[in-house]
Amino acid sequence: MVTADIRNLADEEVMQLVGDGDPRAFELFYDRHGGAAFSLAYRMVGDRVMAEDISQEAFLSIWRSRMRYDPARGSVRTWVLGIVHNRTIDALRRGAVHERRREQFDGIEERHEARERTDVEAARREEARSVRSALETLPAEQRRTIELAYFGGFSHSQIAELLDEPIGTIKGRMRLGLDKLRDQLADFAAGEFA
Amino acid sequence: MSTGDHATHRDEVGAYLLGALSDAERAAFEGHLVDCAECRTEVERLRPAADLLPRSVEQVEPPPTLKRSLMEVVEREARERDGAPATQRRTPLGERLRRALGGSLRPALAGAAVVLAVAIGFGIGQLGGGDEGRTVVAQTTLPDASGSLKVHDDDTGTLEVRGMPSLSGDRVYQAWVQRDGMIEPEPTFEVGADGSGVVAVPEDLSDAQAVMVTREPRGGARAPSEKPILTVTL
Repeated sequence: MVTADIRNLADEEVMQLVGDGDPRAFELFYDRHGGAAFSLAYRMVGDRVMAEDISQEAFLSIWRSRMRYDPARGSVRTWVLGIVHNRTIDALRRGAVHERRREQFDGIEERHEARERTDVEAARREEARSVRSALETLPAEQRRTIELAYFGGFSHSQIAELLDEPIGTIKGRMRLGLDKLRDQLADFAAGEFA
Repeated sequence: MSTGDHATHRDEVGAYLLGALSDAERAAFEGHLVDCAECRTEVERLRPAADLLPRSVEQVEPPPTLKRSLMEVVEREARERDGAPATQRRTPLGERLRRALGGSLRPALAGAAVVLAVAIGFGIGQLGGGDEGRTVVAQTTLPDASGSLKVHDDDTGTLEVRGMPSLSGDRVYQAWVQRDGMIEPEPTFEVGADGSGVVAVPEDLSDAQAVMVTREPRGGARAPSEKPILTVTL
């Protein structure tokens, strides 16, 4: 069980203890970021068992590799979600999940929604709504291209094939969409949520 | 770098940040980033937008079995480590760093101080612990240099170099690990008057593709600023 003396530590300090091999610090690290990590994997694969496997692999790789968190790369949460994203893309490209996702992509339903038990969870829901609102402001073709790439795990050439568009057009939409999203989220990114 | 290469890679900045390049394309893009300040700037300019995408996800409750199974593994491995015979037990790196630096290690100090301490403070004898491991010979672009990487039983590594030129006061050597197409920064190090030096690579190298060395400003860099001058292919 996580004790009160470490519960108040900042993420960066918790990661130092995780790097030292402290299981209690690792548990706290999971408590803080495990939900977001699982949610991202689930959003991408649409399968709770596979999302659980990917999340477990990602957290174990962090536990076993030690000392790999670099504050210069952004917050601990951004770092963890980046690791989960990469592992989920690897899983999607390895397996047959893509075929199913290709058919399901427009109709993913979020089930088993997390309960808002704490202020932190409520803030994360608000944060999610803000980012989704920003995404909604993008032209539909840019938003769809970004979602197919980031959440669908499709490569630019696969997206070009799916949407029957030239690869150059797809690459352009990705870059323009991120550029516009950056403007929309400038204030948000400046005070990055913990 | 040709203009054509640059134009191609510049158009891939968005795809790179979204994870939409193939492994080969991503490796080529990261190779281009080493030489192209314009593309590096564009990647860093757009990265905050890509980093916020996972935060749009509706939060769902992870199954309780996830934490339970994770903690079973973590606690078992911690017990095994603590219960290992003295000859095999390795003091956690953070503790070793704290001892070396003579006090608590604050996050703000973790960058330059840590990497330099690892490079200077720990040699093969301290990290190797008498394990068997395996040794892989390095390839290098420098005429008189050579090197080898010892991968220990716990999959961390120690890189030993010989015949490397001494660098000027504001430049140091830096190690890098290539894994899944990504290049991760590792400790900086210096070489002695005879051109030899040792640096610990405190990472799990079991799934790494290569360990590399470049010349960087003192304090280290987040991304390599030149093509590797020494490479150990794993």
